[in-house]
Amino acid sequence: MNLGDFSLGRYRRRVIPAAVFVAIVIGAALLCEVSFSDFVKGIVKGLSLLTFFFPPDWAAFPEMIRPALVTIVICLIATPIGAAFSIVFGLAGARNIAPDWLRLVSRSIIAAERGLPEIVTLLVLVAAFGLGPLAGVMALAIGSIGMLGKLLADAIEEIDPRILDATAAVGATHWQVIRHAVLPEVLPSLVANSIFRFEVNIRASVLLGAVGAGGIGYELNAAINQLEYSRATVAALLSLLLVFLSERLSDRLRSRIIGAGRLG
Amino acid sequence: MLQVNGLCKRLPDGRAILSDLNFRVEKGEFVALLGASGAGKSMTMRAIVGLTSVGSGSVVFTGETGKTYTTTTASGKELRRARRNIGVIFQGCNLVRRLPVLDNVMIGRLGRIHPLRSWLYGFTDREATEAMEALDRVGMADFASRVTGSLSGGEMQRVAIARAIFQRPLCYLADEPIASLDPKNAESIMQLLQPLARENPILGAFHQPEMVMRYCTRVIALRKGKIIYDGSPRLDAAELAEIYGSELNRPALTMAAPAAVER
Repeated sequence: MNLGDFSLGRYRRRVIPAAVFVAIVIGAALLCEVSFSDFVKGIVKGLSLLTFFFPPDWAAFPEMIRPALVTIVICLIATPIGAAFSIVFGLAGARNIAPDWLRLVSRSIIAAERGLPEIVTLLVLVAAFGLGPLAGVMALAIGSIGMLGKLLADAIEEIDPRILDATAAVGATHWQVIRHAVLPEVLPSLVANSIFRFEVNIRASVLLGAVGAGGIGYELNAAINQLEYSRATVAALLSLLLVFLSERLSDRLRSRIIGAGRLG
Repeated sequence: MLQVNGLCKRLPDGRAILSDLNFRVEKGEFVALLGASGAGKSMTMRAIVGLTSVGSGSVVFTGETGKTYTTTTASGKELRRARRNIGVIFQGCNLVRRLPVLDNVMIGRLGRIHPLRSWLYGFTDREATEAMEALDRVGMADFASRVTGSLSGGEMQRVAIARAIFQRPLCYLADEPIASLDPKNAESIMQLLQPLARENPILGAFHQPEMVMRYCTRVIALRKGKIIYDGSPRLDAAELAEIYGSELNRPALTMAAPAAVER
């Protein structure tokens, strides 16, 4: 094979797929009527709109503290509830401790849940329980079960089977093996994952709030609807602060938990 | 005490991994199972505690009141009753890594306490004291509150022995208890096991014939799932060559010092 063949091969492998990809993007843009002039006009309009948002209306800040706390409380309640239920689904979804039919049922439920956006869950719950934090708590708790349940079931399946055999070999019952070998091995990672989920829930609750779950997201949405843009800026900055703080806290707590498991 | 009658096991592909094993282990014995990797040592142990199903034959274990248990066919409560009287010393990696050392030792008693109590309450102070005594016996009392995952291989092996002691069994099974240890650690583990065997018999799988000669009272050698030797632990070079396959001329097996630790 000479150099010419080689470069031709490279050309075929890289340039042709790239050209096909660009053609698809342009075709899709034409189909969806994406227009560049609209984009430029929108930017100009958006920039002028941005001036409405500044300076922030700091007088609204005291009124925003309570909704911000509501957001935190919603997540503080929803995450542990979701984590508790995820233990049930995690145990039932692990191949090495649950029968096949139960694993299938549990895995299907949590997979279906993960496929369902929280906002859809919330809309259904709002229809049943009305607007407000209760529907928000339930939506976030259900949303947490899918992720935490899957991670827990996977963690259980990764336990060294010899550990479970060795525990059963002393004459322990199946439930004793779960209590004294399975749970101690996976609970630290469940706690670490739950803290991460708390952070995800804070983010999600801002969006859910806008749909009617209460909290800072509700205030943000209400301010924009009432064209009080500088007030909305305060709400947006506050929710940004919540997300930032929960992320810092979550990183710090999780590294401590994971570190504790490794080194003792 | 422990009686293995005509034990046979085949893999799904038809290959026999245990064929017609017959032997008894009596009080006061320290029996070593020798054999190359894959000869069936671990499988024999797993069959004895009912962790694997067997094709034919049986293992009969005599409990404290003279009651006999057929562990190869028992299940549920019956199997758990037999298991709690057989202390299995696995390789140390079978401990629950995230638990403190003391909790791992106390797991040994699970078969003797009510499941509901172990779920809701855990262990009593008296049990904790006894577990500490077991740890003390293997020289690990200072490590009681350490997370088990942070221990070295030799330390974990001692904890595994403490767990078996705390279980208060009538006999012990030790599956390659010194396989992954350096010679000095291996020696000290054998020194721990020898007095234990005088109280309650031990059936152990080993890879170090020189250690076995010094500490065990009897050798059962397996080759391709068959017993090819049952008798004195004093094996000569020809017998060793037969056990490990004459085509393999491994100097480590005939040397006096346990230089190579085979895995």
